[in-house]
Amino acid sequence: MPMNVVVPVKPVVDPKAVVRFKPDGTIDRSAVKLVANPYDKHAVEAAVQLKERFGGRVVSISMAPPHAADAIREVLAMGVDEAVLLSDPRLAGSDTLATSYALSAAVRKLEQKLGRVDLVLCGIESSDSNTGHIGPEIGEWLGTPSVSYVDRILEVGDGYVMVKRLIEGGYVVMRVRLPAVLSIAGTSYQPRIPSLRDVLAARRKQIVVWSVDDVGIDPSLVGLAGSPTRVVKMWKVEIKRRGKIISDADVDRAIDRLLEELRRDGVPLGV
Amino acid sequence: MPVDFELTREQEDVRSTVREFAEKYVAPRVVEFEERQQVAPEIIREMARLGLFGVVFPEEYGGLGLDPVTAGVVLEELVRADLTFSLAVAYLVHTSWGYVAYKYGSEEFRENLIKRAAAGDLWIGIATTEPGAGSDLVGITTTARRDGDGYVISGEKAYISGVKEARERGVWFPDGGGHVTLAYTDKTKLHRGMSLFFVPLTDPNVSVRLEKEFGRKGWSFGSFVLNDVRIPESYRIGEEGRGFYIAMEGFDHARAYIALACAVGGKRAIELAAEYAKQRRAFGEPVASFQGVQFQLADNWARLEAAHALAYKALWALKMEQEGRIGRFEVTKIAAAAKLFAVQAAKAAIDDALRWFGAYGYTEENPVALALKAVKSYDWAEGSLDIMRLIVAREVLGREYIARRRQ
Repeated sequence: MPMNVVVPVKPVVDPKAVVRFKPDGTIDRSAVKLVANPYDKHAVEAAVQLKERFGGRVVSISMAPPHAADAIREVLAMGVDEAVLLSDPRLAGSDTLATSYALSAAVRKLEQKLGRVDLVLCGIESSDSNTGHIGPEIGEWLGTPSVSYVDRILEVGDGYVMVKRLIEGGYVVMRVRLPAVLSIAGTSYQPRIPSLRDVLAARRKQIVVWSVDDVGIDPSLVGLAGSPTRVVKMWKVEIKRRGKIISDADVDRAIDRLLEELRRDGVPLGV
Repeated sequence: MPVDFELTREQEDVRSTVREFAEKYVAPRVVEFEERQQVAPEIIREMARLGLFGVVFPEEYGGLGLDPVTAGVVLEELVRADLTFSLAVAYLVHTSWGYVAYKYGSEEFRENLIKRAAAGDLWIGIATTEPGAGSDLVGITTTARRDGDGYVISGEKAYISGVKEARERGVWFPDGGGHVTLAYTDKTKLHRGMSLFFVPLTDPNVSVRLEKEFGRKGWSFGSFVLNDVRIPESYRIGEEGRGFYIAMEGFDHARAYIALACAVGGKRAIELAAEYAKQRRAFGEPVASFQGVQFQLADNWARLEAAHALAYKALWALKMEQEGRIGRFEVTKIAAAAKLFAVQAAKAAIDDALRWFGAYGYTEENPVALALKAVKSYDWAEGSLDIMRLIVAREVLGREYIARRRQ
């Protein structure tokens, strides 16, 4: 059974780049390269694997300014069939609630276009704000089941998927009715490095740009005005802790020294 | 504004893709290449999947149709991750000689072999040197005689890269590989009597012997004996009697890539050593704060920057030649100058950089030490440094100053 999968992909500041901060504590985004959120690439990989196995289409949606197109080409190279860029000045300043609303509206529009969307696969979080909200919130807006921390999709059946969900100290296997929203953990679905041919072809692919009006988004629910979250202050965390290396050719002696230091620091050891 | 050092977006995409692969999969295994004296086959298969063996071949033959400058961008990333230069050799020899084989090969050859080479199913190497002839190629004794609808080749080639990888089918390359091989079709005409042939090393009448290499141990090096090896006429590359000249063209490609590999390898060695010198303290200071180190670093870096720019000029010249905008001999001159300069710049830089490591420089776990051994091969590979000097002098002074052959 072919599956249509939508993957929200967030363009983020390259985590490997050296970033500069503005006086107000926010990142200076003017001169930094945007890349696809590394966590989202696991979701893209999962979606492309589903397509390779069952057929169907994989569409990515990103909400970002127009210059984020380069980041989206990364996922086009990985096998995404079509990329939609939701770009509108009215979306600027959206928090996760407003963003998930806008993205869910785009999913509904894609539903009309494709006839059916079976799965929305999200990354577990973004590398720049790390909230992990977007997946479950899209599920709420769409009124579908949503499962977070999905390690693997174990089985695809008629109208359902069986997934392995990570929990503290173990995992649960869940059967989920479709359509559904899954947040894919970074534990499996290692993102492929695309071939140069696919990379070059991605450069030639068209990215569809949609505005707030194209998608039928209520403008009062997005942007700063539509965002209940208020960022009061941002500051750089100073890491004051310092590592200490205990080296000793005799491992037992090294462990004794470590225990001794921990006891001296008042760490409860239970031994 | 004709001089421009900026890469295109396409080239940036190529760079970031190859860098991701090289940092993730190649860099952690480099010391292993040297120890096991081979590149892990899965690394080569992954390179094939990424399309790295098809960069310069036209799209109609399954390649990416990219120019030598972009092929250089790929090479840079392979060298940065692998200072043993094993992957550099695997890539640049195939890219240079594969291109020449494509350019002068028959349509049948392109359909059957270039397509496989571009897909990374078949590796293409080069074999001109023999036990009795290197810089003076007129001294080769390998001969090819016509036999029905093909040729029968006999002789011996020595100090050849990639003999093991080409010989063994289904390990590094599904079809193994072969070498663009220089042979006489008419000995009486000296270099005008030479021709080039693609010789599959998987042929049962080829026997291979491996040398114990000084460095760059991940890609094999050795000799092969051709014992009446029969090949079809379509394996002849270019016309009979043109082999020497076509080989000279192939050398231009390989020399430009070698120059780039040396410049980038030298820079990488300096970077690694500089990182160490910033951490390591002596006499109460980081080693990097001593001017004895700083002045060496600056002199070497300046030479490497110059070598880097000259290497790209050589690759640019190859591209210009492909577009018919620059003459053959101009390309030869720039490529020879680039190799001459870059090899020396890299050797000096790596040698100096290694000293900043102190005694840790004298171990085989140190990639910079492996680089020092590897670049030594470029004193000879694809033309010795003295031959580079002769070429540059000949092109600057004029051909009437070519030293005459003593009869």
